[in-house]
Amino acid sequence: MFRRIINIAAREMGQIVRTPIYWFCMVIFPIVIIFFFTSLLEEGQPHNLPCGVVDADNTTTTRALIRTLDAYQSTAIVAHYPTETEARKAIQRNEIYGFLYIPKGTTQQLVSKRQPTISLYYSSVSLAAGSLLFKDLKVATTLASAAMGSAKLQMLGKTEHEIKAFLQPIAIDAHTMGNPWLSYNIYLSAIMIPGILLLFILLITAYSIGTELKFGRSKEWMQMAGKNIHIALIGKLLPQFLIFFTIFVGYEWYVYGYLAFPHPGGLPTMLFLALLSVVSAQGFGVFFFGLMPSLRMSMSLCSLWGMIGFSVCGATYPVFAMDKIIEALAQLFPLRHYFMIYQASIFNGYPLINVWWNVVVLVAFAALPILTVRNIRKAMLSYVYIP
Amino acid sequence: MFKRINPIDLITSIFYIWWLEMKNTIKDEGVLIFFIVVPLLYPLLYSWIYNNEVVRNVPVVVVDKSHTASSRQFITQFDASPDVRTAYFANSVAEAKQIVEAQKANGILYFPEDYERSLYRGEQAHVSIFCDMSLMLTYKAIYQTAMLTSLNLNKNIQKPKSFSFTQRDEELNTEPIHVEEHAIFNTTGGYGNAILPGVLILIIQQTLLLGIGLSAGTARENNRYQDLVPISKHYNGILKIVLGKSMCYFMIYCVITAYITLAVPRIYSFTSFVHPTDLIALMVPYLLAVIFFGMTLSCLVRYRENIILLVVFTSVPFLFLTGLSWPQSNISGIWQGFSWLIPSTFGVRGFLRISSMGASLPDIEPEYQALWIQTIVYFIITCLVYRYQIINARKHAIAHINGIQEKIRNERQKRLAES
Repeated sequence: MFRRIINIAAREMGQIVRTPIYWFCMVIFPIVIIFFFTSLLEEGQPHNLPCGVVDADNTTTTRALIRTLDAYQSTAIVAHYPTETEARKAIQRNEIYGFLYIPKGTTQQLVSKRQPTISLYYSSVSLAAGSLLFKDLKVATTLASAAMGSAKLQMLGKTEHEIKAFLQPIAIDAHTMGNPWLSYNIYLSAIMIPGILLLFILLITAYSIGTELKFGRSKEWMQMAGKNIHIALIGKLLPQFLIFFTIFVGYEWYVYGYLAFPHPGGLPTMLFLALLSVVSAQGFGVFFFGLMPSLRMSMSLCSLWGMIGFSVCGATYPVFAMDKIIEALAQLFPLRHYFMIYQASIFNGYPLINVWWNVVVLVAFAALPILTVRNIRKAMLSYVYIP
Repeated sequence: MFKRINPIDLITSIFYIWWLEMKNTIKDEGVLIFFIVVPLLYPLLYSWIYNNEVVRNVPVVVVDKSHTASSRQFITQFDASPDVRTAYFANSVAEAKQIVEAQKANGILYFPEDYERSLYRGEQAHVSIFCDMSLMLTYKAIYQTAMLTSLNLNKNIQKPKSFSFTQRDEELNTEPIHVEEHAIFNTTGGYGNAILPGVLILIIQQTLLLGIGLSAGTARENNRYQDLVPISKHYNGILKIVLGKSMCYFMIYCVITAYITLAVPRIYSFTSFVHPTDLIALMVPYLLAVIFFGMTLSCLVRYRENIILLVVFTSVPFLFLTGLSWPQSNISGIWQGFSWLIPSTFGVRGFLRISSMGASLPDIEPEYQALWIQTIVYFIITCLVYRYQIINARKHAIAHINGIQEKIRNERQKRLAES
């Protein structure tokens, strides 16, 4: 039996080496994708987002406010506009993401205690840019307002300590556990890259089984396995597993080891998750092919599953905020469970028992082929390829 | 290749190839899935997933060591805000952490024992929030709500201490400058509203690439010499083939694009300021650029299913390159340059601005021009690639004919020798 498995694995290895598409999808594209995301998001948090100003007042006070705003990390004042309409048009031309509007007479009203109104406009069409800019604009204007009060209190002879306590009686200390830099690289790369790896595993599994039929090699394959579909599949998937597992561990080494993404969960959990993810995606791929033993249909289904996974894994938009039906359906996607185990046990370092359900589901996914192997056997022995 | 072309012959051939391509599209289940079913259903599915737009009622654990009226006031106001809910009360941070570990809450709100005492002493009181950072949107909900609650309470604490004589005086002393906040265009700050217009335009590109690649793969597989172009009197000019095929794809996608850009946003009420003339002006070069880009790519495909392996995974990187989730201003030079090769980069940016921001055509001039440049460049590349294919097909055909002639000659000689 082992002989047969080894023979089939050797045959599979030969096919992988000879067919360039395998090289691309198993090695080259995954590596490109790993570098793509980590280098695109290298900055961590977007810095110096372009912001505009409409300063109709133009006094030392308003200019000081604008300079303060410009000094903030996320904001860069790139342009002054004469009117709000001009500034709004600049947003539409994609030159800025937001602007601060200071009407004429602001300083005058401020010193004569008549409560001037200033406005901040921000566009959340680019969600990250909009919310970061809003945060800076909000803090800058609040502080400008506080500076006024502070000047008055100093005049009355209050100490700095008292002034601080007056201006902000309750202070919020925010602790951002695990990602104190609020880095988008850690947040997004850690789910997008595994998502694409899982997609490749799903597709390649279905593709490699389907092409046996397509190129009329299925009978030879089954013959080598003595018509035992289990041996045939194990032999076929073993070399693929080894390659994908290596790539997955390589990815983990690169982001956790080299780029030092937070990973309090430690090495054993990481390896365990890599193993689980590769095996469950392979299981899913085989299951889909068994469900519809046609190359095209099974690959379409795998693409669908892989792509929808990015949305329903709940890394960018939380699953509990989705429709209840979608919340339930999300359980059918390997990436959802990958994300749950990753965020709990690697990113936050909680014990694995908290996500036992997700581990069980991934194991179940890996065992899914049991349901459809007989179908595959039948297909391999009797079907002919239909385009 | 450059002999004089009879215009009537050219037009007949274009229509003939168009007709064949149309027939193939309808008959081929695989192409039909990518051209019709996916563009019809995917947008609906995605819109459904993000339909709730914002995250409400994020569960938070409260650890109230202070147990005073002041802390309870904070908790009540915090709980009353739409984005969070105080789901659990714990007696210690350790206990609260267990609840977060069990995935039941996304953050902790912690009041130290001296919270109220500090307030009444005129010192600064501190409230801590601990956020699970695996989800940015829950962090944002908890952080912003805590911030707003504290600002709100601060104002009431400041008023009696502000040396004021009248209520108006109090208002002026606690808020010397009034700040108005306006979220424009995406007024709800909704996730779907921000992400989906881009995804919709990307779906047009990806399905077109898949469909074109699949039909090219089929053509090659059905051909005796695995050539993309068959030998026929209609297939002897580059222009005929390229125009005939692209016309077929263009016609199908005019309908699909109208559905995706006009019907889907309406069904799920996304922000849509689109003007018909601007939309048509942007989408025509976009579709053409994608079609020629797809036809160029399709020459790489030897077997029909390979195109799925080549195209599907690119959806996510292409989406990132448009500047939708990571701001366009912060994409580094290399990737910025790479993104100019892809039609969706300009298609998505242009569409977002005319649809979500109500811009007009002059506002998206750079994108508009870039799409036309792409159309021209990819058209020329497609022609070159097809020229190569035609020459290849001829070579194969000539070799085949020569082979047959050789056989006949041999046979004749044999017969002669026999007689």
